[in-house]
Amino acid sequence: MKNINRRMISIIIASVILVTIVSIYFAGTLFPESALRADFSQKFLSPSFEHPFGTDYLGRDMFARTIKGLSLSLTVGAIASVVSSLIALIIGVTAALGKGWIDHAINWFIDVFMSVPHTVLLILISIALNQGATGLLIGIALTHWTSLARLVRAEVLQVRDQQFVLAARRFGKSPFWVARKHILPHVLPQFFVGLILMFPHAIMHESGLTFLGFGMPPEQPAIGIILSESMRYISAGAWWLVFFPGLALVVLVILIETFGTTVRHLFEPRQAQL
Amino acid sequence: MKASTKKTAAVLLTLAMLFSIAACGNTAKNPAENPGTLSASAPENNGKTPEQGNAPEVKDELVIGFNSVPSNYDPLNGFYNGVQILYSALVQTNADMEIVSDLATDYTVNEDALTYTFILRDGAEFSDGTAITAEDVIFSFETAKGNASSLDLSKMESISANGNEITIRLNKPDSTFILTVCNVGIVPKASYGEDFALNPISSGPYKLVQYDVDQQFILEANEHYYGAAPGISRVVFVKMADQDTRLMAVQSGQVDVTLTSAVVAANNSVNGYYLLEEETVDNFGIAMPYTERQAEKNEYGYAVGNDFTCDITIRKALAYGLDRQRVCEEALNGYGVPAYSENDGMPWYNPESEIEFDLAYAQSLLDDAGWVDTDGDGIREKNGVKASTTLLYSAGDDVRQAIAMAVSNQILENLGIEMTVEGVGWQDLPARMYSEPLILAWGSSNPKTSYMLYHSSNAGKEDWYNPENFTNEAVDGYLDAAIGARTLEEAIPYWQKAQWDGETGTSMRGECAYIFILNKTHLYWVREGLDTGTQKIHAHGDAWPLVQNLAQWKWN
Repeated sequence: MKNINRRMISIIIASVILVTIVSIYFAGTLFPESALRADFSQKFLSPSFEHPFGTDYLGRDMFARTIKGLSLSLTVGAIASVVSSLIALIIGVTAALGKGWIDHAINWFIDVFMSVPHTVLLILISIALNQGATGLLIGIALTHWTSLARLVRAEVLQVRDQQFVLAARRFGKSPFWVARKHILPHVLPQFFVGLILMFPHAIMHESGLTFLGFGMPPEQPAIGIILSESMRYISAGAWWLVFFPGLALVVLVILIETFGTTVRHLFEPRQAQL
Repeated sequence: MKASTKKTAAVLLTLAMLFSIAACGNTAKNPAENPGTLSASAPENNGKTPEQGNAPEVKDELVIGFNSVPSNYDPLNGFYNGVQILYSALVQTNADMEIVSDLATDYTVNEDALTYTFILRDGAEFSDGTAITAEDVIFSFETAKGNASSLDLSKMESISANGNEITIRLNKPDSTFILTVCNVGIVPKASYGEDFALNPISSGPYKLVQYDVDQQFILEANEHYYGAAPGISRVVFVKMADQDTRLMAVQSGQVDVTLTSAVVAANNSVNGYYLLEEETVDNFGIAMPYTERQAEKNEYGYAVGNDFTCDITIRKALAYGLDRQRVCEEALNGYGVPAYSENDGMPWYNPESEIEFDLAYAQSLLDDAGWVDTDGDGIREKNGVKASTTLLYSAGDDVRQAIAMAVSNQILENLGIEMTVEGVGWQDLPARMYSEPLILAWGSSNPKTSYMLYHSSNAGKEDWYNPENFTNEAVDGYLDAAIGARTLEEAIPYWQKAQWDGETGTSMRGECAYIFILNKTHLYWVREGLDTGTQKIHAHGDAWPLVQNLAQWKWN
């Protein structure tokens, strides 16, 4: 009974968070351009009912900009983490099922890759690809697959030599059938959790790099852009320009992490009870 | 569990940090509240509260919160902006932009406008005590010409001396040559070497006594200077690149003078400091692509021309339908004045080129040309083409962004023309500036800027002057005549006619290749009691123009 309740609670939490995230995404996408227009009669207003996050030095509504920014972050985060996870899946499975030397080579490569601070690598890739959204996406995707690849490899190794897999092979099932029916179902939960947990990481990188000037182009209402613009006005007393977008980003990241953790509990009830 | 506790702690710490930063901005406004925060480099008291300090007499030192620290002080090879502080030239300009003597007590220009003769002052010395001779002057000019850096001496054919009489011969007349002479700082031939850039021997009112890479440079009065001793004998320039840092520096009383911006000035006041507002020719305008869209790309591989902005009706409508005063209020909190050319207020400005804000006229121009809003979306159309274009600005520059947005809002509201504002990085602008309207800023104390902006020989080059590809034969004629005149004064009528001769010209009354918007007022926090002298009209860039007359500054 207790377990069912916990499971139900987890499902409810995950659903609420998912709905929130999806709403933020669509709210940002559907916000009309006019909501982001400068309105010089509304400059530098502190938070109010009309402008819950205040307005900036051009009179733009910070709530609209923040939601738009979060939506943009979600898009970048989603694409980057999906691409990165797919790279991880392919490399992880190849390492586990490939011959010994392939496994060694991939492991060595992962070690080398992980020895380079990935933020530095990310900045270099982003600059090499002329910055902008594409550079950022490719940068994040190329630098974040390593841990998940190791995890996938370990998971595959775990089931590769299990009795039921060996039995299936003896029965003459093709390697593809074995992978699809036995290995993939075993790896997928871990893979999805990894993917979801990579998501906030990617978002933080997107904002961080953009804040430093290596990421999204300045005309985009990305959170990083908003924060770096707003930093100039903190001393002028306009604390809300940094506070609310920053807080919103932190909240979004925490939401997605909680979602990831909750989903993991659902996939792995055994661990959830520990 | 542990990880989430850490996360919560991190979030709380971040929030606490943000609050404390915000709180700093609001409370630390009175320097008297923070007497202990004065830095070692600025130990002096401002004399207003003698009971708190031990220096009741008037200060003799000054600390300036500056936006940059040059890494080169060689006037012949790249050090351009602060020349008058460290070096004497043969002549210089006064606050009314008239040529006055400096190291040369007098000068003449021959009838052919090719020979300049200067009489060198006796008894002038460099900061190391050696005499300034004709040989040093010749050396300085020849070295500057050889370096071909920011000083354009390409027209100087020869320079020679006979006693204290120095003769410069040009290969072509150039009425602005004398302004170049003002910027050729005279250096000692004997001690000019590779290390001169960082160990300069000065010939001006101040000398460099300390330089810390990217941090500060310190000047002291040059006791060998031939002229009057500066009013303040030691000046420390501290690098403060951020607007925030500069504001906090005055709030805590650490600097005596610093730069500020329209946004900061409008939202803050600082006890013990006054806001110095300086008139400028630091103008912001829109370069409007002047030709039709070309089938071929230009020599740099970029698209050229714009079918919308090449129509003079559109350009004129934009020029007349823009309430510039409103842009000043909206984008710069009133710290700007409407601009009508690249040189408003300078001796060579033609006041007739000024236009009135005339919305009815602007709208009638569009109506008559067939631009009408038929579908009721607030944007005019003609033959199925929407009255729409982009408006580019250099991303990251909040002044240009604010101006662009204020213009865009108003143009849509007043005229039904859509200008979509887009911030583009400097490195990406060349690809688009030949074919899309772009916010640019100009303004210098040399009329040659007009030549660079509008003469057809410079159209469409990558030097940013004329990306709109403006060319006009009549204008070329006036500009050539202005450059070819014997003196600056004789050139003035030609510069003015180039702007507007009654029929055509570069101004918005004429061909309107540039929509000029406003001159940005330069703003500084200055400690009460400091007199910054009579300033020349400031050129583009707000740091160096302020200190060009540093020798005249004094504490009252």
